[in-house]
Amino acid sequence: MIALHQVCARAGGFRLVDVSFTVPQGGYGVVIGPAGAGKTTLLETIAGVVRSTSGRIILGDEDLTHAPPESRRLGIVYQHAYLFPHLSVRENVAYGAVSDSIVNELSERFGVNALAHRSVDALSGGERQLVAIARTLARRPEVLLLDEPFSALDPRTRTTARRIVRALYQERRFTVLHVTHDFAEAGMLGDVAIVLDKGRVIQAGNPADVFRKPASPYIADFLGAENVFVGEARPIRPVSPDWLASGDADEDQVQRAVAFTTGALTFYALGDARSGRMHAVIRAEEVSLSTEPSMSSLQNQFRGVITEIAPAGAITRVTVDASGTPIVAAVTARSVRELELAVGNEVVAGFKATAVHLC
Amino acid sequence: METIVSLETAAAPRRSSAVTRAATGVAAGLVSSLFLLFLLAPLVGLVSSGGVRGIAALGNDHELRGSLARTAITATIATLLGVIGATPVAYLLARKRFRGQSLLAALIDLPIVIPHPVAGIALLLVLGRGSPVGGALYTSGLRVVGSTTGIVCAMLFVSAPLYVSAAREAFVRVDPRFESVARTLGDDAWRAFRRVTLPLAARGLTAAAVVMWARAVSEFGAIVILTYNPKVVSVLSYDRFTSYGLSETLPVAAVLVLLALIPLAALRALRAGGRLASS
Repeated sequence: MIALHQVCARAGGFRLVDVSFTVPQGGYGVVIGPAGAGKTTLLETIAGVVRSTSGRIILGDEDLTHAPPESRRLGIVYQHAYLFPHLSVRENVAYGAVSDSIVNELSERFGVNALAHRSVDALSGGERQLVAIARTLARRPEVLLLDEPFSALDPRTRTTARRIVRALYQERRFTVLHVTHDFAEAGMLGDVAIVLDKGRVIQAGNPADVFRKPASPYIADFLGAENVFVGEARPIRPVSPDWLASGDADEDQVQRAVAFTTGALTFYALGDARSGRMHAVIRAEEVSLSTEPSMSSLQNQFRGVITEIAPAGAITRVTVDASGTPIVAAVTARSVRELELAVGNEVVAGFKATAVHLC
Repeated sequence: METIVSLETAAAPRRSSAVTRAATGVAAGLVSSLFLLFLLAPLVGLVSSGGVRGIAALGNDHELRGSLARTAITATIATLLGVIGATPVAYLLARKRFRGQSLLAALIDLPIVIPHPVAGIALLLVLGRGSPVGGALYTSGLRVVGSTTGIVCAMLFVSAPLYVSAAREAFVRVDPRFESVARTLGDDAWRAFRRVTLPLAARGLTAAAVVMWARAVSEFGAIVILTYNPKVVSVLSYDRFTSYGLSETLPVAAVLVLLALIPLAALRALRAGGRLASS
């Protein structure tokens, strides 16, 4: 387990302010945040390399706030491998290893056995990073801190490294805290997502919730939500049960149907009894396109004209101008072909009331 | 026709700029040659006039041989003391941020900028028999003034700041994250320093020690105040000059120049090794 309670720290120009979150024992936490948010400082504070000025750091079930780094039973892998240049590849992997057999096993698994006697200066960037991860895991840490370790790798090596780390994680169930810029990686790997900005945790929780229900327009924007609208919310009536059939509703909250007006559009959302100026966030993946209004459970459907089609790999982002409000939908390339989508064509953009997150 | 005119007008400034470049090159070459001549002529003259006699004198001039050995030994002792005492200071200045750090760094550099006889006088004040420290040392059997201990003290005082400065740079060049990684791999602070930082800074620290040794060997001003006798080579050359004139001084001075070439060669070798290692 990694549990931080109101931790403050300072390192150079970076600060952590009252940082609190928990990654359960054997869990996979992902830290996301803009450059300069204090992500590396956070990992170094947990590692004990940067001293916390207040708060508590619990690792496993022990309060290790004041313990030196070597007593914390953790490992850290930086974006730049920091291999010891005066040692060979094998000497690096063996640096803090608990046994020779684990050095052999990890060298084999990470495919660096053949490089054992090479100088680390002779390695490629990908090889260096694999050696760095093997070196850290050879100590058998209970907590693994990853500071964007895959970001500088080519796609193939990144996939390999990610797969090996994931497999080792499944086998040994150490607790992981992984800093990444890659939202796909965050969604794919994490049990807990922590959004950090200016040294503060601005949202923490299940990655799906963080992505679908960002706590603020800033987080929504940072997390790449394409549809963030500012407008007026007005509760209209208790929500009808069929709206909640998908199980998306928050059971702890009294839900009401809310009419949200932005520009010339008014759409339905779920919310509480508050009214007034708010933001509505709809992820592009939640918006569907059709040539005619559908009879499905989509409470919000708007006819508009396609203004842009932007293919991005398997997904294509289509922008629809609905009465002056641009709505972005993420659809598959196959849908683009089947619906014969083209700029200037008229389509219907639809989304459920439960897909609208008000903040 | 118009084209021809424009080509001609374009060619004229190009010719003029080529002439300016050539003239600038010649002027820079001339100034550089004069500067190098100014630096090298006295040394080449000294070695060519007294070098052979100096080396020959090593066989029969006991005083020169003795002072040469004394210079090398005392400079080596001063350097070792400097390395032991100043390495932690250099590390502290490179790695930690604390109040008064700039003041401490400036104070450490002070012996480099003050005239060396003044440094000798300052040492005499603290270590002379009349001072509390010097008196206590004398009573306990350690005479500083007029002894090899005094030579070592003078050498240490004037040359250690150079070591601190160069060693600090050597530590700054080692990314502290190497230490952080070593700590998370199970090393305590000292072990991480010994296993990672020290080997990575070793080349820079050795170069710093060589510079310190070279500076200690060439010291005169502070030593002559603290310990005229027994003589180191620099004091011996001054003594021969004032007692017997230029001709008798040349072999001693030439030997001192040749001695100074040893650390210079060592430094070059270290840097060449560094370039090879990093290429």
